Amino acid sequence: MRVVLAEDLFLLREGLTQLLRAHGFEVVAAVESGPELAAALAEHRPDVAIVDVRLPPTFTDEGLRAALAARRAAPGLPVLVLSQHVEQLYARELLADGSGGVGYLLKDRVLNADQFLDAVHRVAAGGTAMDPDVIAKLLSTGPADGPVDQLTPREREVLGLMAEGRSNAAIAQRLFMSEGAVGKHTAGIFGKLGLAPSDDDNRRVLAVLAYLNTART
Amino acid sequence: MTGRWTALVRGVQLYGVALLGLVGFVFTIASFIPGFGFGLVFSLPLPILASRRLARLARLLTHRWTGVAIGDPYLPEPPEPVRQPDGWYRHQRQLYRKPWMPRLMLRLEWVLGDNATWRDLGWMLLAPFTGGLIGLLPAFALVGGVSLPWWGPGGVPTWLLVALGLGAAGLGVAVAPWTLAACARFNRRMLGGALLRSDVDDPSERRHPIRAWFGRTLLPAFRLTLLFLTSMLAIPVFVVTILGLLGGFGLGIYFLVPAVLEDFRWLADMRRSMARWTGGRIASPYRILPPLQRRIDDGLYQVEGRLYESQRWAAFNQRSSWLLKDPATWREVLWRGVDPIVGGLIAFVPAAGIIYGIWGLALPRVTQTLFGVPEADWYGHVAGYAWPAIPAGLLLAVGTAKLAPPLLRLHGRWTRLLLGPTNEAALTQRVEQLTQTRAEASQAQASELRRIERDLHDGAQARLVAVGMSLATIEKLMETDPQAARELLARTRESAATALRELRELVRGIHPPVLAERGLGDAVRALALDSPLSVTVTVRLPQRLPEPIEAAAYFAVAEALGNAARHAEARTAAVVLAHEDDLLRITVRDDGRGGADPTRGSGLRGLARRLGIFDGTVDVASPPGGPTVLTMEIPCASSSPRTSSS
Repeated sequence: MRVVLAEDLFLLREGLTQLLRAHGFEVVAAVESGPELAAALAEHRPDVAIVDVRLPPTFTDEGLRAALAARRAAPGLPVLVLSQHVEQLYARELLADGSGGVGYLLKDRVLNADQFLDAVHRVAAGGTAMDPDVIAKLLSTGPADGPVDQLTPREREVLGLMAEGRSNAAIAQRLFMSEGAVGKHTAGIFGKLGLAPSDDDNRRVLAVLAYLNTART
Repeated sequence: MTGRWTALVRGVQLYGVALLGLVGFVFTIASFIPGFGFGLVFSLPLPILASRRLARLARLLTHRWTGVAIGDPYLPEPPEPVRQPDGWYRHQRQLYRKPWMPRLMLRLEWVLGDNATWRDLGWMLLAPFTGGLIGLLPAFALVGGVSLPWWGPGGVPTWLLVALGLGAAGLGVAVAPWTLAACARFNRRMLGGALLRSDVDDPSERRHPIRAWFGRTLLPAFRLTLLFLTSMLAIPVFVVTILGLLGGFGLGIYFLVPAVLEDFRWLADMRRSMARWTGGRIASPYRILPPLQRRIDDGLYQVEGRLYESQRWAAFNQRSSWLLKDPATWREVLWRGVDPIVGGLIAFVPAAGIIYGIWGLALPRVTQTLFGVPEADWYGHVAGYAWPAIPAGLLLAVGTAKLAPPLLRLHGRWTRLLLGPTNEAALTQRVEQLTQTRAEASQAQASELRRIERDLHDGAQARLVAVGMSLATIEKLMETDPQAARELLARTRESAATALRELRELVRGIHPPVLAERGLGDAVRALALDSPLSVTVTVRLPQRLPEPIEAAAYFAVAEALGNAARHAEARTAAVVLAHEDDLLRITVRDDGRGGADPTRGSGLRGLARRLGIFDGTVDVASPPGGPTVLTMEIPCASSSPRTSSS
């Protein structure tokens, strides 16, 4: 799988490159600034781009904006954004075009290589990978007496994992229950939130986020 | 049927309360005259507070009988004056030995500065003739209808009178519930919610069209009328001042002089506080009374070149010379004399034009047409005819109402001319203020640095040391007990992640990354997403603002939203950020229970201090029952152009 990597800190860039190579990824370009990233994405057309939010030359949200611009030029280009901090605003911007293949993770998550690589795979396959921190905030700041409150604790757990972008099988594995039980929970959640059920992982996240967005305005 | 009868009786009772209100109104207005004339500031709050009881009774009865709930609209009582470390009580720029005078001043400002006071007075004046009268109408119809056959006009057949009378009485009883409800709605309008929220200026809120029309056309004239009244007040004040000066200097007794000079400053202060109607604030121009100097070696008090044994005399002399040498004093005395003519005239024109136009030209014609009252020959005629007086009168009223806004601005300029600080005085005050805010700023910064240092030392730093130690242990364990090494490794990784999280939170507390990356608008949007409330954000910022101001504004909004969520039990909030004329204005409005008191909450005080560094101001409007509106203004010249494209 061909990867373009953008990260301005030398140590982290080398570490990520090694990690990815060790797990069978082909890192076709590892760049350190926004303009270089734009050029590399246009040239290599990778299977997935892993991008730091904050990049030179502005050291602001250059990376995020370069990634969004690249996705506008090449719709569906999978982009995994890494950040020192998670910001709901950025998560929503990434999800806004609704075409999937996006991820937004804290940089710390690379400490747990399996989790990180799982996220890369999911994004490359057109799914989503949202950081648990983002999801926790989304769920905790929903309307006080909205439908999210009617969910059972178990259903909230399932909703959280679902919003991170996990499949029913993965959720079942994480929560030590059968896939059938997960299916029952998801059906219950969709019923209580008034969402039409769907099999598509990506659509599920978008639906959850859309629900949370509309309920809050 | 009994419901109709009760409604009828209650309408009469509510009207009785309204009539009492009229008596109270007359009494209150009457007490204004000696209150202002003799400088007896004390007598003013009493009748107003007494009339609040009546208004409360009206609210209570309206609620009990009609179910129309009317919230208590008054501002919370002012706090007690606080004794300064140096033993003085301070009120604005004035120091007092005893707390009663500042307490009185605070109460006076509290009572007169409350919109609800003026609404109460308006209700007391209007209710017996308008809304309250509606409640009386059914009883009137009943009594009139029943007595019609006895007291009716002669020459009309009795059966017709009886029929008419019965009809009127029946109609009165029938409509009683509706008239009672109308009366209750009137009371709610006048005694409850805001009628004129001139103190809350939120550009995002759409105003009621009638209220907007009123604010545009009649409000300036109304304000000019009030300004005219203050100009008239200046006449007795000026007379007393001159008599006091003459008596004081002429007889060589100068006890009178400080009294007449200082004790009448309230009039000028009042006019300065009204300046916000007329375009811009006017700062107080007076110098601050310096603390009394004591000579260490022989214990004498020094006032300029003289030494005094008794503290009393020294203080008295110091106060006299402080008063007499302040140019602001003499400019103000001049104002007292000239304002009745200049300010009075400016204010008089539109008010007189409107009043004369409607009452003098238009109304007599109307009454003459309707009732045939004999006409007076000195007014109401235009070019020898009576009827064109109606359009002429209305035209005069409308024309002068149009004239009112520019005259209001002119009036503001006139007030500033003599009552505003001169350039020199403004500079002196500025230096004083800067010295104070600099001290506060450096103190705040030092304590912030200490906090960061402590957090790092206790948190991330300690954790990283622990990580290092664990790694050393793991190195040893690798050979002897690989299983234990693996477990410890997992714990160490967790520890490193926690250290990272703590560092992240620390950075966020110093300068949030989204603020650095996107600027104030998006940072506040992000804040709104994180808030448990449902927050709408309106941003009108043409460009990035200077970084320190962005940070101060960001934390101010964070604090305000936090307060709304924690203390006010609010559900929704609206934040408006606007940058106009080099002034950043932030409005945070929530739908909580209100009653926020800046003198009690340390959060609000800290907010004011934080913004004070930038000459910013915080204004809290939070009547009990809400809504709370926090208005923060920070002057700032714009700097670098916006960097973010979004």
